[in-house]
Order: sequence, then structure tokens, then C-alpha cells
Amino acid sequence: MMEISGNREGMATEDFTGLLKRHGALGEPLTYDGGPTRGPGLPQTEATTILAFKFKGGVLMAGDRRATAGNVVVYDRADKVLEIDRLSVMAIAGVPATAWEMARMLEHSFQFYRRSQLQEMSLDGKVRALSKLLRDNFGNVVQGIGAVIPLFATYDEAKRQPRLYFYDAMGAQFEATDYAVSGSGSPAVRSVLYYANTYGPRPLVRMNEEDALLLALRALDTAAESDTATGGVDRHGRVYPVVKIVSQSGVVTLPERILIKAYQRNLVSLPKHTPKFSELE
Amino acid sequence: MIEEPYRWMEAIQNRREYIDLQLATGSAIVALSCPDGVLLLTVGSDRQKLFEIYDRIAMGGIGHPGDLERLRMKAIEVTSVEGFTRSSLDVSLRRLVHYSLSSMLKEAFEQVYGAPFLVRLLFAELGRDDAPDLLVRLDYDGSFKANGGVLSGKVEPFAVVAGQPRSAAAMEEYLRGRDCSSATLEEAKAIALDAWMIGSLVAAENRGAEEAAPLPDEAAIARHREKVLGGKAAVEVALLDRRAKTATTWRPLSFEETESPARPADEEAEA
Repeated sequence: MMEISGNREGMATEDFTGLLKRHGALGEPLTYDGGPTRGPGLPQTEATTILAFKFKGGVLMAGDRRATAGNVVVYDRADKVLEIDRLSVMAIAGVPATAWEMARMLEHSFQFYRRSQLQEMSLDGKVRALSKLLRDNFGNVVQGIGAVIPLFATYDEAKRQPRLYFYDAMGAQFEATDYAVSGSGSPAVRSVLYYANTYGPRPLVRMNEEDALLLALRALDTAAESDTATGGVDRHGRVYPVVKIVSQSGVVTLPERILIKAYQRNLVSLPKHTPKFSELE
Repeated sequence: MIEEPYRWMEAIQNRREYIDLQLATGSAIVALSCPDGVLLLTVGSDRQKLFEIYDRIAMGGIGHPGDLERLRMKAIEVTSVEGFTRSSLDVSLRRLVHYSLSSMLKEAFEQVYGAPFLVRLLFAELGRDDAPDLLVRLDYDGSFKANGGVLSGKVEPFAVVAGQPRSAAAMEEYLRGRDCSSATLEEAKAIALDAWMIGSLVAAENRGAEEAAPLPDEAAIARHREKVLGGKAAVEVALLDRRAKTATTWRPLSFEETESPARPADEEAEA
């Protein structure tokens, strides 16, 4: 089948990485020879705390907005939940320099495949493509630079159900039945999701969108309470997490005003009135 | 023998005649700029002839399937690498045609010991913001013609490629008399299909290429349409969707179904 659409050199079977290599457009991988660095080592920028779980309307994927380097907040508007194609979303925790490049690579690979082969890449193919990028990056992970632990959610058109995967740094892929988390704030988020799934009024998969959204925001806020690297839900700076939903009809990014409304409506401890300076005197 | 200039010109002329003969039976391709985007249409039976190249670029072609495939892959490779290493905003049809494809075709055509490409291609690029859509016809010898001039500023909202020059001329004459500036997608499809039918009728006429003839009338077009579509031929339609909310604008359409431009997923997001 591949040979028919191939050209003389049989390049139709080549993947996107191969194409970039042939054109000399693939940069050398980041390397670090382990030589001396100044001080206790170069602090790397890291993006933290992402979560995803299945609910009635598909998969909800959310990430806070903070990127840190050591104990310094580098950026408070980082987007860690990235749309890869019409039906797929990837969320990243780890070093953004590597992770955003992986997302770009993945997006272009899927599109290149669709355009050149005149068919969508299969779901298994897509899941493995990310696995391969992680494996290619493992040399860096061993050297202590550029580790990325992503989540990947997509809609399975053949089985008509949403699918959710998490990975380890070596590229092993695991399919999650209910929820998956990653990043520095993930222990707290995982506990919240476990609690809600097991002891809540209903399991996560039967939650409606409004409840699912509220749970995601509260889980991120809970993580931020103890983890300085997690931005949580910053209601003073109005920097809200990024929340995307993957379903049969595609990927939808929830607008900020919906997040604000959902969060504030049910917030118990939101101060109703902040006293003005003059009132304090 | 080829070292002598005269022989070389003779060889080129022979090769031109040979390729023209090979392309003569090709099914024409129509591109129409309308408010919904750029509509591409052709009629065929066995293989796909309209293709997505990049976010805002599409290609249609007549000729040898193997050659079409090589050029299609070349176009996808060039645009994909550029889009990845720089940005999708740096990918342009003008650069693709001028710097990559045209020279490749010319070289193959004039290397008289090698095989030329047996193709005639039509490229469409959806204009960004208010820029007009760019439609380019690219021939087997590397020569190309756009739908409007950078210098003149006048842009034609259509382009066709056909197996025979007189078919293309008749189709262009017909399209020049139609206004698609406010046409719905359904109207644009009908206009493009009529243009294709005219090209097909003119190609079948038994007359010299130089003789001018009036365009077939509506009744003749309708009769021909019934005859063509009554057989195993089917209409292939695709759209570069001006209203797409994603970076990818390519949308294969079905001819029979009425398409609604609004998609449910977008409406949910707005709600």
C-alpha cells in the first residue's frame, strides 16, 4: 500500500523526523557533557501540575499556569495544555523548552502523515509517536536536563469513546481508566481525584461538565496550597488555569469567563468584602 | 545529436507534442474563490485528484498518477519543513511555486534524456485577512500563471486547468461571465460544475483548436451533466474554508449534501 503512493526513492514511508533530518532541519539534541557548572547547577525552567480525567462529556484536561526555575517563578501565563490535532490534546509537566518542541513535533507529524498518506494516523500510531519522542529524549533525562512527563488525551472514533494516557520519562505509555496526573503538585491533585472518585456523590465518569470543571479547579488550587511551583487558581491576578475538553465533536477550550463563574459561584472562603485602607484606621 | 541547438529544439518540440497528447484526455479542475473560501471541483471515477498540501494550500492536477504523486509529496515536504522550522505564516504558495516546483519541472522537461513530468497542476492558497486568494496554474515545463498580477492589481476569482487549451479557454470565458462574490457554497458548486461540463463538451467537439465557437447553452450543459453523472463518474469537491477556526482549512465536501458552514463543536464553545 505504501509503495503505491511512494515516489522513486520510496520516501512515502518516511516519518516527519526522517524528513526533517534529510532536509537538515532537525537541530542537534540538547546535550550536557557533565562538566563543571557554576554553583549548585543550572536551574531549569519547569512547568508543573497537570491533570486529566474522564467525565460524562469526554476527557477534561487542565493545567495551572506557573513555570518555575528552582524557587523562582519564571512565568505565570504558561499554557501547558496544548491542542495537537482536531481530537487530541497533550498536557506537559517538566522542562518547557523540550515539551513545547515535542508538542510542535507531534502536531506536525500527525498533519504530515494525514497530508502525505491521505488518511488520519491511527490512535495507536499517535500514542506511540509521543512515546518515541520521549524515548529519543531520554539521554537528556539521564543527564538531568529536559525531563518531560506528559499526558495525552484523544477521542477514539473507532470505539466511540475518549482515551487517556500517561507516560514515564523513558516513553512507556499507560492507559488511564479514570484519571491521570503529572508534575510537582500531582500528589495533592491525585489525592483529590481519588477522593472524589471513590467517596464523592458519583464517580468521575458520571460527572457533568460543570461539576467536572469545578473539581479540576479545586484540585489545582489544593495543589497550589502546599506546592509553591503550582500556580493554582489565581483569583487576584485573574490568571486562570487552561482547561480543555476532548470529545467526539473535537477539542474545546473553555473560555475564562466560564472558569471564573464556575469557581466563584461555589467558593466558600472567597472574601466577600476586602476592607479599604481608610476603613482600617 | 542533442548537442546541436536545432536538434535540441526539435527534441523539445517533440516532447511538448507528446506530453500535450498525454494530457489531452485529462479531466479538468476548477478553482473558484467565493465568500466561504476557495472551492475546488473536478469529476472523476477512480482516484482522488484534489489534495491538501498545507494549512491554507491545496492542489489539484491532471496527468500521470505517478508524477502527480511525486510533485504532491514534494509540495507537502517543502511546506511542512518550512512550517516546522520557521512558522506556518512563512509558508506561501508563491515561494513554493517560484523556488521549488517551477525549477524542478523545467529541469526535468529540458533534460531530453530524462523523463519529463506528465502533469498540469492547479494550486490554490486561501488569502489571509483581506488579501485575495492566490490561484496558480503550473504546467509540465515549469511555466506558471497566477490569477492576478502583483503589478496590475487585478485578480480573477477563478482558475482552471484542462487537458486541452480550448477547453480551458471556454471554461474561463464562462467563469468570467459569472459573479461568485456573494455566491453560497451550493451556488459556487453549481457554477464550478457547469464550467467543468463546458470544458468536457468543448473537448469532445470535432473542430480545430484555433476555431472559436459559442459556449454551449444551458440545455446542452444539463444534458451533458446528466449523461456524465449518470455513468460511474462522481464529482469531487473540496474547500479551503475561509471561516475555519483551526489553522487547517482543508475540508473535503460531498457534492450532493448541503453543507452547513457552522459546526456544532464551535457553537458549544460559544455557549
